Amino acid sequence: MLFNSIEFFIFLPIVFALYWLIGSKHIKSQNILIAISSYVFYGWWDWRFLFLILFSSIVDYSIGLLLKKNSKPTKRKMLLWISICINLGFLGFFKYFNFFVDSLVDSFTFFGKSLEINTLNIILPVGISFYTFQTLSYTIDVYKNKLEPTRDFVGFMAFVSFFPQLVAGPIERATNLLPQFNLERKFTYSLAIDGLRQMLWGLFKKIVIADNCAKYANIIFNNYEDYSGSTLLLGAFFFAFQIYGDFSGYSDIAIGVSRLFGFNLKRNFAFPYFSRDIAEFWRRWHISLSTWFRDYLYIPLGGSKGGTQMRIRNTFIIFVVSGFWHGANWTFIVWGALNAIYFLPLLLMKKNRVNTNQVAEGRYLPNFKELYQMLFTFFITLIAWVFFRADNVSHAISYLGNMFSSSFINKLDVFPSTILLLVFSFLVIEWLGRSGEYAIEKVDGIKKPIRWGFYMLLIILMFAFTGEQQEFIYFQF
Amino acid sequence: MKKFTKNIILFFLLMLVTGELTVRFTHAVSDIPQRTIDEFGIQKYKPNQRGYWKGGDHTWVVNEFGWPGILPKSYDNLVMVIGDSFIENFMNSNECHQSEYLKNMLPEYNFMETGRSGISLIEAMEISKQLDTLKPKQHLIYVNDHDFYESIVEVKPMADITQLSLKDSMIVYGEMKAPELKKVLYNWKLLYYFYNRFPISGSANEELEATQKETETIQKTQYTKEIIKLLNYIKSNYKLTDKTLVFHPNSNKTIISLSEEAGFKTILLDSKNDKTWTFDYDSHWTCYGHERAAEQISIQIPF
Repeated sequence: MLFNSIEFFIFLPIVFALYWLIGSKHIKSQNILIAISSYVFYGWWDWRFLFLILFSSIVDYSIGLLLKKNSKPTKRKMLLWISICINLGFLGFFKYFNFFVDSLVDSFTFFGKSLEINTLNIILPVGISFYTFQTLSYTIDVYKNKLEPTRDFVGFMAFVSFFPQLVAGPIERATNLLPQFNLERKFTYSLAIDGLRQMLWGLFKKIVIADNCAKYANIIFNNYEDYSGSTLLLGAFFFAFQIYGDFSGYSDIAIGVSRLFGFNLKRNFAFPYFSRDIAEFWRRWHISLSTWFRDYLYIPLGGSKGGTQMRIRNTFIIFVVSGFWHGANWTFIVWGALNAIYFLPLLLMKKNRVNTNQVAEGRYLPNFKELYQMLFTFFITLIAWVFFRADNVSHAISYLGNMFSSSFINKLDVFPSTILLLVFSFLVIEWLGRSGEYAIEKVDGIKKPIRWGFYMLLIILMFAFTGEQQEFIYFQF
Repeated sequence: MKKFTKNIILFFLLMLVTGELTVRFTHAVSDIPQRTIDEFGIQKYKPNQRGYWKGGDHTWVVNEFGWPGILPKSYDNLVMVIGDSFIENFMNSNECHQSEYLKNMLPEYNFMETGRSGISLIEAMEISKQLDTLKPKQHLIYVNDHDFYESIVEVKPMADITQLSLKDSMIVYGEMKAPELKKVLYNWKLLYYFYNRFPISGSANEELEATQKETETIQKTQYTKEIIKLLNYIKSNYKLTDKTLVFHPNSNKTIISLSEEAGFKTILLDSKNDKTWTFDYDSHWTCYGHERAAEQISIQIPF
């Protein structure tokens, strides 16, 4: 079920009404409702894959309890590895099997040998990368004694399949979300209204910004040979806003919906395009994934401790794995590696934590240095996005080659002024609201008629600039 | 919770009003002409209507006869252009209609269009019969394979389309499908907007896939016997000497030869080695497609 679909528009009020009718005193019943609703939400797409989520839930729930029972380090380690192998095994099979087969065949061909292995016609279960990481975080935290294993299977099922964030995150840590299923959730007017506001903003980002940018990004990327370098830059610009609007929009809706049910999810985006360096960008982009890799991969590998070689190795590993997490394609790996290359100089010069505060804090406008830093960071992320969007690495290289050709200074072949104006207005709102959790959080302080007028303006734009209903990009990851 | 519910309802109502105004003002959905069934059982449009196509770039017109498009200045040397949504052609402006292009290419003739989305071959024959009072020189009937299958109750029963029952050798006239719901949808633009954007019966792709599968099944079995019976019925009940079937590109060759054997003149349009005739988002012809089609017809038209 898509958030921007009529089904969800009907589904949500029904679940909401039932949930609060049950009442906050009946936590177990509310959890059962969440689990059932989440399975309906997911099964709407393909019910067969519900068994996968159920199996994953059973495995990690049981391993959690077994970890509690066993104090022997070897046995505990074995249990942890069983969980890792099962979870990553499923992920590997559904997401990466064909990629590995193709790559193996290609490498044999490269060395002049032929190898015949058939790929399989595998459907990628929506959201598998997200809920796999979520359940893994549970087992790892229990293993590390950071979290007590739960004995409430329904609560655990609800945690794994929690519908607002099941298919595209934020990837919640068991330490943050799981305990909330055992606590009484009270309906709070301000929290619910805040949730609705964030949902509205998320829908605006998706419908108005992402879907309209997608239209032009697709045209330009699919016909890149016909366009000037300047137009190709515009294409990359549109994709940058497509992916941001799409993914951060989804996160906003997920967080907003969770608030309606009395849950608090972690922030996933913190105005990444206002970052002054790439390290700051990665602290602000897909925060739940970056911190997951930091805590469960980077730090166990030794993090930034150790020698220079170790730091370089760890940085590359985390970025490449992060790229590979996005999809079974070399483009994502190159995208990850490119970001590692961007990041390394900052790490080696120990400047990766220079910009930890908010840009132009307390001021309306940035100074020249900040503006330059933001533009430069945005520009290099734009180049990396070309790999992310391209069909394959050679497509990306040709695209960039054409972009940085002599036609870079040519007139734009495509100039959708209305969409550009919308993106510009969106950026202004994001800039003005950058001190909040999300851009329009502070609107709450404005007088009701103006506030509602603003909401209506967003709704008008959603109706007026709606494109074809598009799936969220991150569903495929 | 009370305050929340009250505010949500209020917000929702305000959103409905805002949405309705926005959709109307920006023409986020096309205006839909209202249909009627005439005394001969033919489903057509209520005369003298006008409205905007989606986006508001152009308007469509329904003439005093209840057919989309502009009427010719004279009815001398008249050629009727009969067909489905390709001839109805709401998605293009009036300048991009078959009659306009044909008139420019064959100025000595006058062309009048009678198009309605979904018409079957037998329905087109019925329409042509009613139009004989205008004494046309020729009827150009634009068809594709579906129009043959959809003409036969026993092959593909469709309640809203005029069909032939082979069993009874009788015309079964179409009925208006959900007229009251249509009225609501056409007047409540926001609802129509949602109906369009979020189709109830699955996604647009699923619908397209289902249609393609259905077509493949029909084409595999072909229903040759039924088509022969249909053509025999047409041969016995309608005058064919002034009828030319204009087949869409890639139409079934067997159907074309069966039609010729029955006495129809035929023209098969060819879109090969040409840039696409259709919209990216819609299988209908663009202005370019219409012009190319008219060009081929103007050369092959049998006067």
